[in-house]
Amino acid sequence: MDSGFYAACTALMSKTQALDSVANNLANVNTSGFKSERNQFSSALANASATGASPLNLAVNNYGVLGGTRLDLSEGSLQKTGNDLDFAIDGSGFFAVQTASGRMYTRSGNFQIASNGQLVTPEGDPVLGDKGVINVSGGKVQVGPDGTISVNGAVAGQLKIVDFPSTTQITSMGKTYYSAPASAEIAASKSSVQQGVIEASNVNPVSSAVELINVQRQAEMMERALSFFNSDLDKTATEDLPRLSS
Amino acid sequence: MFRSLYTAASGMTAQQLNLDNIANNLANSSTAGFRSRRIQFQDMIYQNMVTPGAAATQQTTVAAGLQIGLGTRPGVSEVVQTQGEFSSTGNTLDLAIQGTGFFQIKMPDGQTGYTRSGSFTQDSQGNVVTADGNPLEPALTIPASAQSVTIGADGTVSVTLPGQTASQQIGSIQLAMFTNPGGLNSVGSNIFMPTTASGDAIVGTPGGTEGLGTLQQGMVEQSNVNVVDEFINMIVAQRAYESNSRVVQATDQMLQQLNSLGR
Repeated sequence: MDSGFYAACTALMSKTQALDSVANNLANVNTSGFKSERNQFSSALANASATGASPLNLAVNNYGVLGGTRLDLSEGSLQKTGNDLDFAIDGSGFFAVQTASGRMYTRSGNFQIASNGQLVTPEGDPVLGDKGVINVSGGKVQVGPDGTISVNGAVAGQLKIVDFPSTTQITSMGKTYYSAPASAEIAASKSSVQQGVIEASNVNPVSSAVELINVQRQAEMMERALSFFNSDLDKTATEDLPRLSS
Repeated sequence: MFRSLYTAASGMTAQQLNLDNIANNLANSSTAGFRSRRIQFQDMIYQNMVTPGAAATQQTTVAAGLQIGLGTRPGVSEVVQTQGEFSSTGNTLDLAIQGTGFFQIKMPDGQTGYTRSGSFTQDSQGNVVTADGNPLEPALTIPASAQSVTIGADGTVSVTLPGQTASQQIGSIQLAMFTNPGGLNSVGSNIFMPTTASGDAIVGTPGGTEGLGTLQQGMVEQSNVNVVDEFINMIVAQRAYESNSRVVQATDQMLQQLNSLGR
């Protein structure tokens, strides 16, 4: 069958995936500490036929697919909440959290105190300090720019703020948790902690809306291409050609 | 089917809930002792089509995975514990707490409730009660003949009786605090109930070292709702709802075009 038909079909499928990803970004426009996903399109044969393929073969069989999504780790705006247990990181670091499924990282600093006095995320997972979990019960909590937590003036611990080299694979785990290989962890040097503020989602509604229109129009084009193959070429082949021969 | 329809629907449901919460906060912007709530959203699970770091060939790994998120969901609605503004009323039984403590109230079912709203009155027997008629705990009765009532910063209640020059102490008010006040359960009428998340109440004398705070007589703590912030949140919620509905429209149009293929 026409190779272009499958190319348009593949492109249409990749556009619907792109739409899913835009929808997820827009759904999380109000999720604190959320990092938006950027789509990366690639051609299916880019790696497979690096050598030896004829240019013509490449042109007709090289379909555009959604190759991957990349986390946009840019900082979201900081929102003042006035809650003593809301922290935001100014810089590229992450808070380290101990969950049932291992160590996770988050930028969402809306923490709480568990009934046992530990500093926890809204999920109830303890937030890690330099010396393990931090006990913050019984008084006014204050945080210094370096993450040192004091309760009623007495030092209770220091928040563990970690950074990753730019090559590290960071995976979204939901609940605004991110996972990364623990071996890649480095102590954050250019991050400071602020109290009483949280980091808003870094989803840009304007660029998301533009991307939405873009995806929609490109999908429309692919649908036009599909219907052209379907109605014009195939119709000619199946209905008009037999008539010629008869 | 397209995931985007359900993803956008999760976004719209979340913003609806957000607006419900903002409406309740704004409705209580002049409720004395009211504590606003804030809904925290979380992203839902991700569908990993290509796991980041998976092997692409024997030598190389994929640079970025293909992860498609499935929307948002409300996580928790947390009680915001900032101090409300104080307003002076001059009423002897109006009390404001400067600190993190709560008044203890004996509820009709015998349980102890906790409130920041300190507008108390007296019932026919002279008991100090809330506007709903529930007595303060520990119980405090003011003699009918009392000429004046003084409540100190440390909760000591003293009255002056006719024919006496020195005031006489008749009791003291105790406050309670919680390890995690954000986890309290709101039951209406300005009353909070403890939960396992909030921890048990720590009861003490006002002005002590626990950080319960001190009492101010003749003052009432206003709601801690910040009207400007709530309006901003409302605009954000409305616009976010709108952009999510745009995604539904876009998906619908794409499906419509797909359905008309081959006609």
